[in-house]
Amino acid sequence: MGKQLFRYSEANKEGFLDSDNITFNDGSIVTPEEIWHYLTVEGPVKYPSAFEVNLYQGNRGSRDETLPTSLKTRYLGLTFSARMEKAKDNGKSIAFIQGGQAVDPYTAADTIALRPGLVNQWNNGLEYGNDINKENLRRKKSKEKAFHDMSFEACQTGGYEHVQAGNLRIDVIAPYTVLRCSDVSYGVEAHRHGPNKDVKLLNVDFPLRNQADKPWAIEYFAGNLRRLVHTLDEVTGRKTTEDDLLKAIKLHNEGRRLGTELAELWWSADIPPTNSDDRASLVSLGNLETHGDVQASLSVLKEARKFIAERVKNGVKGHAVTDNPKRLFILGSCVGINGSRSEDAGAIVVGRDDQWSHCSSLVEEEGDPYYNLAKTTLEYPYEQGIEKRAQWTIEQIRKSRADGVIFIHNWGCNTQAAISRPIVDIIKRETGIPTYIHERDLHGLRDEQEQNRVNAFIEML
Amino acid sequence: MSIQTLEIIRKRLEERPEELRQARKNGHKVVGWTGYNVPEEIVHALGFIPVRIALGGDDRLVEVGARYASSKTCVFIREIVGAFSENKDPYIQQTDILAFDATCLQNYRAAEVIEYFFKKDVVVLAVPRNFAEDDAKTYFVHEANEFTRLLEERAGRLLDNATLGESVALYNDIRKTLKSIYTFQAARDNVISWEEVYDLIQAGDLLDKKEYLSLLQQTLAELTELQHNPVIEADCDSRIFISGSLIPRGDRKLISIINLAGGRIVGDDLWSGILPHLDLDIKEISPAGVALGYLNRTPHAALPYLDLESDRRLKKLHELLSQSRAHGVIYHTLRYCDPFTFKAKETKNVLAKSGIPLLEIHTEYAGSDYEAMKTRVEAFIEMIRIKSELVEEEAA
Repeated sequence: MGKQLFRYSEANKEGFLDSDNITFNDGSIVTPEEIWHYLTVEGPVKYPSAFEVNLYQGNRGSRDETLPTSLKTRYLGLTFSARMEKAKDNGKSIAFIQGGQAVDPYTAADTIALRPGLVNQWNNGLEYGNDINKENLRRKKSKEKAFHDMSFEACQTGGYEHVQAGNLRIDVIAPYTVLRCSDVSYGVEAHRHGPNKDVKLLNVDFPLRNQADKPWAIEYFAGNLRRLVHTLDEVTGRKTTEDDLLKAIKLHNEGRRLGTELAELWWSADIPPTNSDDRASLVSLGNLETHGDVQASLSVLKEARKFIAERVKNGVKGHAVTDNPKRLFILGSCVGINGSRSEDAGAIVVGRDDQWSHCSSLVEEEGDPYYNLAKTTLEYPYEQGIEKRAQWTIEQIRKSRADGVIFIHNWGCNTQAAISRPIVDIIKRETGIPTYIHERDLHGLRDEQEQNRVNAFIEML
Repeated sequence: MSIQTLEIIRKRLEERPEELRQARKNGHKVVGWTGYNVPEEIVHALGFIPVRIALGGDDRLVEVGARYASSKTCVFIREIVGAFSENKDPYIQQTDILAFDATCLQNYRAAEVIEYFFKKDVVVLAVPRNFAEDDAKTYFVHEANEFTRLLEERAGRLLDNATLGESVALYNDIRKTLKSIYTFQAARDNVISWEEVYDLIQAGDLLDKKEYLSLLQQTLAELTELQHNPVIEADCDSRIFISGSLIPRGDRKLISIINLAGGRIVGDDLWSGILPHLDLDIKEISPAGVALGYLNRTPHAALPYLDLESDRRLKKLHELLSQSRAHGVIYHTLRYCDPFTFKAKETKNVLAKSGIPLLEIHTEYAGSDYEAMKTRVEAFIEMIRIKSELVEEEAA
């Protein structure tokens, strides 16, 4: 017997068709009619796992059928793999990067920048017809290969399992190294012993420890950004100018401003205008890299702001959100909780520090763009020392009116795990809000143990 | 055979904590340091008493440390954090200031956690990942100057080049003497064991530097008297080289297992062993010159290097293996010690090309894996012994 799949209702089609097209980097567009067709006909056949009605769906796609932009982020997610393949066929350059970093220099150098989650998403989408369990087994299998070739204590394997196996046509591995994670730099290094000798390797050296006030640190990181652009240019064969970088900064600043406005609008509402997953997918558009296409993200983001404003004004509640849900703020890198199950338990996720830290960091547009970008990056609140980072986090928690805070770290993520306790210690001391630290496995389905702890916390709240 | 100076050193180590206590009463300050690239000469030249923070082997302290720094941090760091929490280690008790570096990011995190929870005064030296690049060296020079400035503030005086020159000369003499002593442990006649030399190296982390040099020179004189010309050659002993995560004072689990299994350790490239004392060439007497001397040494595994063929760490490993005439490598990785666990399989493959077998032992400070480790080490040593006997037979 087949798995039960979610289907979008035809009753909502007409409203959806009134919404905007999505415009892509290459100038092509996709109409709402085409998106609707994909979500109702093509998508469920290719990716039944994404439509499966299953409690263990870690990141359930939007069921909020009257919020067009949520369906569009869904569409962009489901077509991601095919779009990356198409980009490669058309000669586009693709880079592996770190989560938690902005992608302005990659955009300037006409390169698609994919963080680890997106690299996995690309690979996951290459195979059709899997249900959730099959999909999960497949992911586990490829991750096991990376663990074998590197370390079973790795949290992040740097895309090694896909790039070295030749499954993904990634041209360059060039993340900001040690920004929020140490594993990624070892992951980059591991590529040196793999069979794929074609992929270029570069560590963009992000210096640690309260560096934003040190002119030499800014200069050093700016130099690394120049080296990054030069390396990307070697792949593409083009010459990226300072003006190109400035244009990219302006473009990304627009995304960051819109993302920030959207988040603040959402926080301003008495009634949550979307559920947890939809909030996350819309706000994260602000970084413009989420779907491997800067223009597509920007066009959906612009439209999303309009829809959310309407919902806030009219007091519309997001899909499946309970009345007066307990508001959770999630801390940590590459983490999240099962939104739908947490909503069923009476909560809603109102914010995260990861991804938000750099979305809320605008880059100065006057002066040397490399220097400005370096300075802003060194100022990312998430990358500061314990006290400074905690103070910024407290500010976000207060803005979001969170009732509880969960610091999650993945198994093997020692960079974040090591400071989880002091961070929540300060938050608890200064806000009185309950907190707890939660360890989980990055790979695999969100299991009962994890949800039991989350639900117990929600119940306590 | 007994080296008398080693007995003196053991006695002086017992007396050292009380000596530090008295020194502090007399107004001296103790800097506890940890990190592969902390330029200890600068600490010394500013009149501080440098003491290396390196202890291991206590599973209980690891558990205590996990309460503050999570159970996902490497056991060495957890034990350090646990030791600061309990504040019973006689050396940790005596520290006034801490100097940590960010070569290993977990070391850096330890600095943050200790600073936050135990209110210690911590100075951190940032270390570039792209250490081989010129701009990284420029950056590191700035960081070393800043590190010096922060220590000068705490010392209440400026660093002068003449004093720094004296410290550099003293440390150079220590390194030179240690290297000479190290040759004896791998030699045929075995007048001093690797284990004794290892303890001797670690004694230098704690003793007064001038006295330490004098004791090293006495040791070397004794050794030279016993054996004028140490000859290193591969014999039928199972000659084992230890690589990988550090093995600090207090942790002798793997070493004792190798000994019990009949292996003879003849070399190491451990951060807690001889490696930091090799190839340190300070070309200019200044904080910058000292810092660059450190950065240009054989790099630590925590600093990524993207070209396997020209990796100086692996070249050094090959060189030391050749010098020590080792038959095999036991590669020690501590739980969550990413710099070395990530490279275990790669190192094994690289050495296999030279016909050198490698056994990875992944462990922590608990005793629960003792028998499992012993079985694996015994099997490895047996394999090496049979192999070297066959080679001897063929040669004969």
